[in-house]
Amino acid sequence: MKGLTLRNLHKTYFDPAVGTKVTAVQDVSLEIRPGEFVAVVGPSGCGKSTILNMVAGFLPATKGDIIVGDRAVKGPGRDRGVVFQNFALLPWKTVIDNVGFGLKMRGIPKPERDRVAREFLALAGLSHAADRYPNELSGGMQQRVGVVRALANEPDVLLMDEPFASVDAQTRMTLQEELTRIWQERPHTVLFITHDVGEAVFLADRVVVLSKGRVLREIDVPIARPRVWDAVSEQDDFKRLSFEVLQMVRAA
Amino acid sequence: MTAILDALSRYSHFATRRPTLAAFVPFVPVVGIWWAVAAMEVVPRAFFPGPLEVAQGFASLTYKGILPAYLEDSVGRLAVGAAFGIALGIPLGLVVGFNQAMRRALWPVLLFFQAIGDIAWLPLLLIWFGFGLTTMTFVIVYTVIFPVVFNTALGVRSVPRDLVRAAQSLGAPKWRIVAEVILPGALPNIMTGLRNGLGYGWRALIAAEIIVGTSGIGFMMFDARRAGSAVEIVLGMIVLGLLWYAVDAWILAPIERATGQRWGLVTKA
Repeated sequence: MKGLTLRNLHKTYFDPAVGTKVTAVQDVSLEIRPGEFVAVVGPSGCGKSTILNMVAGFLPATKGDIIVGDRAVKGPGRDRGVVFQNFALLPWKTVIDNVGFGLKMRGIPKPERDRVAREFLALAGLSHAADRYPNELSGGMQQRVGVVRALANEPDVLLMDEPFASVDAQTRMTLQEELTRIWQERPHTVLFITHDVGEAVFLADRVVVLSKGRVLREIDVPIARPRVWDAVSEQDDFKRLSFEVLQMVRAA
Repeated sequence: MTAILDALSRYSHFATRRPTLAAFVPFVPVVGIWWAVAAMEVVPRAFFPGPLEVAQGFASLTYKGILPAYLEDSVGRLAVGAAFGIALGIPLGLVVGFNQAMRRALWPVLLFFQAIGDIAWLPLLLIWFGFGLTTMTFVIVYTVIFPVVFNTALGVRSVPRDLVRAAQSLGAPKWRIVAEVILPGALPNIMTGLRNGLGYGWRALIAAEIIVGTSGIGFMMFDARRAGSAVEIVLGMIVLGLLWYAVDAWILAPIERATGQRWGLVTKA
């Protein structure tokens, strides 16, 4: 397991709509320890998705360093697994083949990657859906596949870009609980992007509040695990931290 | 009005249960009208044969072995031409769809040659290659290739960006992204290109056979004109329609059902 370091990260780009250069990310530094779950929260347009896209290697950084373990990031790579807001499952592959895709790219033979994929599908309670196509599944199930597809490839860092933003509220809470459970069973370094304050506090060890491309504050979340909504939502710590973060995000 | 809607709804149910049989039902009134017009003898029957004469013509030409032989020639030519057209068109479409510089460089050239049209090449082709398979294959390849290239390029560009990113993050190198993401993602568009290409190619072939004329359905029809045999001409026309329906029902539609429709990229037909 490796940590993730962002050092003085900048991103400016030319916005053809405005006709000038726009600064999306300004001097962001962040240290995520190995096995730590960090949520970045902020209003839309604060640069949080830009940060994730740079860490994933989808966008080049204008300035600054992104380091996984001790290696600087250059372009996308399998050391950083990504979970997308729109799931991004390959529609022409069955669930089990989607989950085994990363292993296939590494040249692992079919029986072995099916065995690994089944193990991860079981972890997400999806064993029954192995041979179905993504379009036959509900949004919540598709995102479970999205999460285990990233995990099955054994990344050093898991990057999650508002992964539960496009499912209904009830399913979202279930998915959040499942994610904390899976994360405890298989610890990973996680960078989780969200605009949902409650979600950030519920999931993370540390919440980073972003505003106008800068880190506004970092707040530790000392809530005990395992976390389930019924218990956590009643806790004073949760209420206090959620309120605090919410105030900052609204003022941001 | 309700009676018509009722009949349509019952036909729709029937078509779901027995699709092959149901395909013939809409032709019953068509043949009926044809039969009635022929029976009125507004034009002499020799110039406007009825369904019965054409059916007899079909039986006799099949018995003599002429129709099967010509059919085999035409379908064979289309298959060879289409195979080359697809083999060239899909890679070219991928390149044009993928690479902006290539697109900018090739687009005007592609448009220019698309406009020239297959038949316009025939005079020159006849000088170069004579009356033979090479000439006809060239015409078909030329016709098939443009819709395949343009639609493949469109398909490449309509693959969602996040699918490519997901594959990259899972460690897929470039060539595997082409094979595992771009090609299947572009498949519904490639099928559209194929459908158009084959349709145009089929027509181009008939035109080429009429001009190049040594055998084939197009040759049969034009040869019949010389003999003044309207039966063979109408028979040729019917064969063209039926054959295209067969290509669609037995080759194209099953591929589309097993791919784009199965994956939810296209709604079920």
